[in-house]
Amino acid sequence: MPAWFWLVPVASIVALGSAYGFFREMMKESEGTETMARIAAHVRAGAIAYLKQQYKVVGTVLVSLTLVFCVVAYGFHMQNPWVPFAFLTGGLFSGLAGFIGMRTATYASARTANAARRSLNAGLRVAFRSGAVMGLTVVGLGLLDISIWFFVLTRFYGTNDAHQVVVITTTMLTFGMGAAVQSLFARVGGGIFTKAADVGADLVGKIEAGIPEDDPRNPATIADNVGDNVGDVAGMGADLYESYVGVILASAALGAAAYASSGADIQLKAVIAPMVIGALGTLLSVVGVFFVRTGEKATQKQLLGALGRGVNGAAVMIAVASIFVMRAMGLENMWGLWFALLAGLLTGITIGQAAEYFTSQGYAPTKRIAAATKTGPATVIIGGLGEGMMSVAIPVLAVVTGIGLAYFFGSGFSFGTDTMSLGLYGIGMAAVGMLSTLGITLATDAYGPIADNAGGNAEMSGLDPEVRQRTDALDSLGNTTAATGKGFAIGSAALTGIALMASYLEEVKIGISHILDRGLGYTFPDNFHLASTATAELQSLNLMQMMTHYEVVLINPKVIIGMFTGAMLAFVFSGITMKAVGRAAGQMVDEVRRQFREMPGIMAGTQDPDYARCVAISTKAAQREMMLPSILAIAAPVVMGFIFGVPGVLGLLAGAAAAGFSLSMFMANSGGAWDNAKKYIEEGHHGGKGSEAHKAAVIGDTVGDPFKDTAGPGLNILVKLMSMEAIVVAGVTVAISLV
Amino acid sequence: MSTYLYLSLIPEALVASMLAPEDFGLYYAIGSSKRSRGQAIFFSVDREKIADAGFPLEDVEARCVAHEDGRPKSSLYLSIYRVLERVPRDALTALHLATDDGRVLTIEPEEFVADGEDRTHLYQEICPVSPRIVSHLDPAEFAGFITDTDRNVHVPRIAFTELTLGNLKNDPDHKDIDNLPYPNIGHLRDCLRELAKAPNKANKTVLRQMTQEVLFRTIRNGVFVGDSTGITAFPLPSRDTLEREHLAWWRSAQSTFGE
Repeated sequence: MPAWFWLVPVASIVALGSAYGFFREMMKESEGTETMARIAAHVRAGAIAYLKQQYKVVGTVLVSLTLVFCVVAYGFHMQNPWVPFAFLTGGLFSGLAGFIGMRTATYASARTANAARRSLNAGLRVAFRSGAVMGLTVVGLGLLDISIWFFVLTRFYGTNDAHQVVVITTTMLTFGMGAAVQSLFARVGGGIFTKAADVGADLVGKIEAGIPEDDPRNPATIADNVGDNVGDVAGMGADLYESYVGVILASAALGAAAYASSGADIQLKAVIAPMVIGALGTLLSVVGVFFVRTGEKATQKQLLGALGRGVNGAAVMIAVASIFVMRAMGLENMWGLWFALLAGLLTGITIGQAAEYFTSQGYAPTKRIAAATKTGPATVIIGGLGEGMMSVAIPVLAVVTGIGLAYFFGSGFSFGTDTMSLGLYGIGMAAVGMLSTLGITLATDAYGPIADNAGGNAEMSGLDPEVRQRTDALDSLGNTTAATGKGFAIGSAALTGIALMASYLEEVKIGISHILDRGLGYTFPDNFHLASTATAELQSLNLMQMMTHYEVVLINPKVIIGMFTGAMLAFVFSGITMKAVGRAAGQMVDEVRRQFREMPGIMAGTQDPDYARCVAISTKAAQREMMLPSILAIAAPVVMGFIFGVPGVLGLLAGAAAAGFSLSMFMANSGGAWDNAKKYIEEGHHGGKGSEAHKAAVIGDTVGDPFKDTAGPGLNILVKLMSMEAIVVAGVTVAISLV
Repeated sequence: MSTYLYLSLIPEALVASMLAPEDFGLYYAIGSSKRSRGQAIFFSVDREKIADAGFPLEDVEARCVAHEDGRPKSSLYLSIYRVLERVPRDALTALHLATDDGRVLTIEPEEFVADGEDRTHLYQEICPVSPRIVSHLDPAEFAGFITDTDRNVHVPRIAFTELTLGNLKNDPDHKDIDNLPYPNIGHLRDCLRELAKAPNKANKTVLRQMTQEVLFRTIRNGVFVGDSTGITAFPLPSRDTLEREHLAWWRSAQSTFGE
């Protein structure tokens, strides 16, 4: 085992240890007044109740799929025997990352509000370090899972045989599917929960009853705050855990394939390089967390500067430190891979900045949507849709530029077919570069909902205006930094999608080798035949040859059918999740109306609303409604593979990735812009609060809610889960396909 | 159980109730089972001072009694139509502003002192008529003008509020009017321009009738009740006081759409 590998478990332990330290530090803070503690306890209890229910459902799905994989692996010998266990651990660790993050966030909100009573800086420190617990837990658990599996599998298979290294890496990749299943349920379920509560609370509370946001008399207000935690924290944690391990493992698999003929030592270095870069980024993220500090009387600008120093400082450090580490590791094409990594970092930053430009009220697009409110809700909707569609251009161009550059650098400045594997490895390294500092970028993401909940707590507790101004400032800061984090998450999902497609072909080769191992021959769709003894010939096939033998060309109807189906799935998935939010919000509206009707003391403030019932309604709705989209994502690659084989699956993945990435950006940015257009008006523009423009903006924001928090984020996981699923069932697809 | 007398401006009515102002405001705004909502503006009335005003006050003892199950009587309408004119200003002991969701702010009366600097005002008359007017007159002058019995068009007593004009106060063409939630700002600008061009013209009607509830956040100076003998002011607390001492009401006042 190369010495550099040990940096991975060390970084994992450092990350988890730091996370624990930050958690302890946060817990030492006071929760403030009795009211603040009571409100926080309500939110915490609701969030735990939801997660328990969700884990029951996801647990059932994970165990069921594990049993299916056991049958396929041990009964039919169509799959690697490690797959069921790798799948299960991925799911467990992903869920654990989300759970720890959410648990921390629910403890941190009241403490952040209370710390804000002292100073803005104190509030920032508690909120950010609590966010860092989530960020460091995600990367720590990810690296731990990777370390354990890599250690176990290399002990079992050894690393001297190039083919065995490919088997190890593609096997490890399958635990990404477990994480993807968990993250799909967490993101979609959390998204449905949070938006059902949010829309329900707004429709009855604000519009019908005229009561302000975060008013404790609104029965759905606790569910709304719970939703911020289960959707934006637990869901995001599980999602990015999956992205993180997916990126590292896909790159490792591509490295194993790309350098299979370069000798065991070089191949192994290429395999562990993404893990080492991830570990290095994690250590630098821990350092970056300590950069986030200001004086006690810091202004908003200084706070933003402090956060930027942490995130950008870690990014600069990884860019510099990786030169020395890659050089010390003795990687082949070291400079090419370093530039690929840099291209990934820059792509992430560009996407983040573009998202910030299209969704912040400081820039023209959101101001244009706000201006459209003067002519009513219809023009607000039209404006938001238009700006959202336009916002797709820069991120897509950034991603294709990043892909092109990373491929170019990785392949040694060639677009020839013989260097395709190297180029794809470069793309993988770009994605690793993008997510290498996830520990700290995710901290800024998780910080947002904590600050948001702190603001809600301060409002409900009736804290002094200065404190509420501080929590508002923290919240606003979170919105700005989250845009950058979102850029990295979305960009990495796009690059990972490409890397996973390449890994899929490697897994297909392994699937074919299982057939050959059973003494059978294999005939490709172009009638190229491999005899049962032709294992070496199979291993020598490069990616382009595989594509040729499978007739993966645009005029092949199987590919076209797959592409159209993949694009369609992105829309259907979005439609299902949006309709689910509508239905769940309807139930919430009925419940809130019922409570107001049957419990007249609520409005007088003499009777507590039944918060738990609203939480239960959102929970049940989320569990029920997330089944269909999840089943769709899991079943699609299996069905497509069963009917149209490998070309159909590749078409499906390409169609879903292209449509899904664009649609996801569109929905996230439209929703974000509508939200901030409303905030812009509430700041005192176009008539301010209570004006007709405000009313139109509220409608736009309500439409945008499921866009940005349910369907948009879910699409990324749909694309990744389908890729992972395709990889896991590749053996079955190779063995059985109708057409 | 005490009995209270309230003068409601929307609708104009004298109401007896066993509910204290906060509870009455909640009841008036949202009803007894949260099926309706709407702001309420009402005064606490000193019974002694309207003893000779011709209201059937004897009904209060007879009919404003608790229900059989012990619940207090929420409202007993004693009179509607031309009520304000029969209640002297000194009988109004407090103003209560109830938001859509029933949060109540109570304001004590104060002597009105004109600052003498402002030359442009926007008034929303509330009762007994409800046009919106731009005016050169300060609130005391305006009340005197509207209740001047020498003029053909007058009312005996008027309740009104002054609304903020923001930057339009000094410049009808000012571009930065972003925080003014009034419909048809263009027409308001026209009215202000017309008023500015005619220094001898005291008032100009902007809207003939109140088409939406008063957005409390737009109230400037306060609510006034005036007649030919003078004016009583009920000044809205400062923004800072509202944020510190009346946060629940202030948040609610800002979240309404004034429908």
